[in-house]
Amino acid sequence: MQFDSFTFLVFFALVLGAYNALHAWSARKWLLLVASYLFYAAWNPAFVLLLAGSTTLDWWIAQRIHAAAGPARRRWITLTLIVNLGVLGLFKYQRFLLDNIAAALASFGVHYVPAPLDFVLPAGISFYTFHSLSYCIDVYRGTFAPTRNWRDYALYVGFFPQLVAGPITRFPQMRPQIESPRGTTRDGLGLGCALLVLGLFEKCVLADSIFAPVADAFFNAPGDAATAVAWSGVLAFSGQIFCDFAGYSTCAIGTALAFGFTLPTNFRLPYAALGFSDFWRRWHISLSSWLRDYLYVSLGGNRRGEWRTYRNLLLTMLIGGLWHGAAWTFVIWGGLHGLYLAAERLLREHVWPKNWQAPAFLRVGYMLLTLLLVALAWIFFRAPDLHTALHILALLRPSVIDALLDPAQKLALLAFAGVVAVHWAMRDRDLKEFCLAVPAPAFGLALGLLIAAIVLAPGDSHAFIYFQF
Amino acid sequence: MLRRHWLIAWSFAIVAAAALVGVVEWHWRALGQRPNIRDSAQLWSIQRDRVYATDKIPLAILGASRIEFGLDVKLLKELLPKYRPLMLAQNAHYPLAVLRDLAADERFRGVVLCDLESSGLYKMYTEMQQPLVDYRRHQWSPSWRVHRLLLNWWQAHAVVANPDLGLIAAARRALGEASTPQPDYFTFHTDRSGDIDFTRTDLAAARRHFSELAADPKHLRALVEPQQWFADLADVYAWTRRIQTRGGEVIFYQSPTGPALHAAELQIHPPELYWQRFAANTTAPVIDAADLPALRAFNEPDESHLDFRDKPAYTRALVDTLIERGLLKR
Repeated sequence: MQFDSFTFLVFFALVLGAYNALHAWSARKWLLLVASYLFYAAWNPAFVLLLAGSTTLDWWIAQRIHAAAGPARRRWITLTLIVNLGVLGLFKYQRFLLDNIAAALASFGVHYVPAPLDFVLPAGISFYTFHSLSYCIDVYRGTFAPTRNWRDYALYVGFFPQLVAGPITRFPQMRPQIESPRGTTRDGLGLGCALLVLGLFEKCVLADSIFAPVADAFFNAPGDAATAVAWSGVLAFSGQIFCDFAGYSTCAIGTALAFGFTLPTNFRLPYAALGFSDFWRRWHISLSSWLRDYLYVSLGGNRRGEWRTYRNLLLTMLIGGLWHGAAWTFVIWGGLHGLYLAAERLLREHVWPKNWQAPAFLRVGYMLLTLLLVALAWIFFRAPDLHTALHILALLRPSVIDALLDPAQKLALLAFAGVVAVHWAMRDRDLKEFCLAVPAPAFGLALGLLIAAIVLAPGDSHAFIYFQF
Repeated sequence: MLRRHWLIAWSFAIVAAAALVGVVEWHWRALGQRPNIRDSAQLWSIQRDRVYATDKIPLAILGASRIEFGLDVKLLKELLPKYRPLMLAQNAHYPLAVLRDLAADERFRGVVLCDLESSGLYKMYTEMQQPLVDYRRHQWSPSWRVHRLLLNWWQAHAVVANPDLGLIAAARRALGEASTPQPDYFTFHTDRSGDIDFTRTDLAAARRHFSELAADPKHLRALVEPQQWFADLADVYAWTRRIQTRGGEVIFYQSPTGPALHAAELQIHPPELYWQRFAANTTAPVIDAADLPALRAFNEPDESHLDFRDKPAYTRALVDTLIERGLLKR
């Protein structure tokens, strides 16, 4: 079920009503769990069994890890890693792996055609797998004791606002919220619904109606597009991917808030980032912090010398790229970000004067440079294959043949400039605090404009891009 | 956390949104716009899901705009009470991909009425409707079904549900200095059939479009040579047989067209080299409306489509033809 559907509005109203009609906290939690599984079943009922099975297994293994000592603990954590990554690999990476094996064998003259395995990818599998993994790894590290309550753990993994595309929460963030009674408050409902509207505006108006048509038209058939057209396509996708994913996260956070739950911030105006480490502190924060805590740190982080640090950065981002999709284009996208981070760290360590406060124009220049390189990396993220991505990169070079932009492309560029301007203007502000600081009538009018824009921007519903991950 | 007077904020929000949407709705209605259902892959999927009916014989109607806007589905239900007509045609797209999809679906055992002309059998056009099949296979879900049913209601009541009349379309028109969209001259229904009212459009321009097309030497030659065209039909025969083997049936049908368009079609695809060879080799019954006075008699104001006022008579004539030939039962 998507947030930008009438079905969700009905579902949300019904579940919220039933949630508040119940008094016992235990009953409310059961309701949320059943609702979450219904929410998930709306895509493919069969995959609820996978979700429930994976949840139950990890809940049980975490208890075994906690109860065990010595090598047994290591065996249990290895088992959960194998099971979780195995399921993820089966559904998401088997085709990629087999195709690459076939290509490698072909280079030795061995003809191998992989059997066609047409698995449907369960929505959000990468997200709930990371939820489960973080839980088991934290129990293994002794960060906390596992919960003995299956329902509480299942609700942590399956809570519907964040089930399919995050934010990827950690158990310590959710445990106190799940274990202590809560309900809908006036502030939670008011702000939650406002965030839901903001997220829907980002998704329906900006991502789907303004950016997607331009990005899709260009990336699906770049041909010999003129430079301006190519740039409009690349920047339109940069706008689309942000508004699509941040829109989902904002809806998720708003929906959870209406039920009395606080989910972590997932985006903090990333197109105003000054540099790439700043970008990753602002973009998909729950994933970047997950990769940092469970992968980068496990690889040794920055504790084993400078070159090891660069290697770890690169490896982390390569795997982060692969997490997004089973294709070399995603690996290259991750690798580019790894290189950006490593280069930036190198410059900061050896070239950038210590404690030097850059003047404003340099800060703006750095922000624009960051944005440009991030946008170039998005080409690999969106292009259907490596060949197309390289072709698109070539199209971005200034050429003598140029063309006028059509109205859709002009609008996409204007909207993208608007998104960047808002990010820059708000870069040091907290969105929730900002919303609450505006007088109620002015806030209401702004909200009314957003609602009207959503209603007045009907179009094709696009699946959220991150659902495929 | 700062306190906020949420009741005030949301009251302002709802009033402002309702006022804005209301003004836009009123503006478009004043310009003659009326609510209309918009076709989509979701609407198509709802129909496609119904091909498994067991209480009645599913009658899957495949084709492009001529049959989509030519058949009166409500009347068809009355005339053929043993059947469940399902409109799976798609405007401006040839239907072979959907025929293939139904053939591959072992659960489908109904009747297919497939409207196309010789060019609709071109191999290069096979995939035209495949995006609909792909959508249903990969994205369609119970949740989207509920969404689409609610959206039907909204589209049936609100002019602003038309994307062409929305905010983004208006912004694009402003940037491109384009003119205001004209009211639709067709009405679309949730059963995916449509009514064209030629009194609401520039008929001369519509007729000119097809007449010029029919007279343009560029368009007066086949894109595929007869031998190649004929050789490419093997898949269509196989799909047909597959449906027949399960107890279903396929009826290939060619809708009537105006004299200029028909003459052009005869010149581009001489029947003895194209259509008749197909008819002689397929195991399915084949009907060309041009051969039947009862169907040929109808007038296509733009050379290609029927006016909605002629739909009931045309639907009756087609049903009579199919029953007379023993292809359908009352």
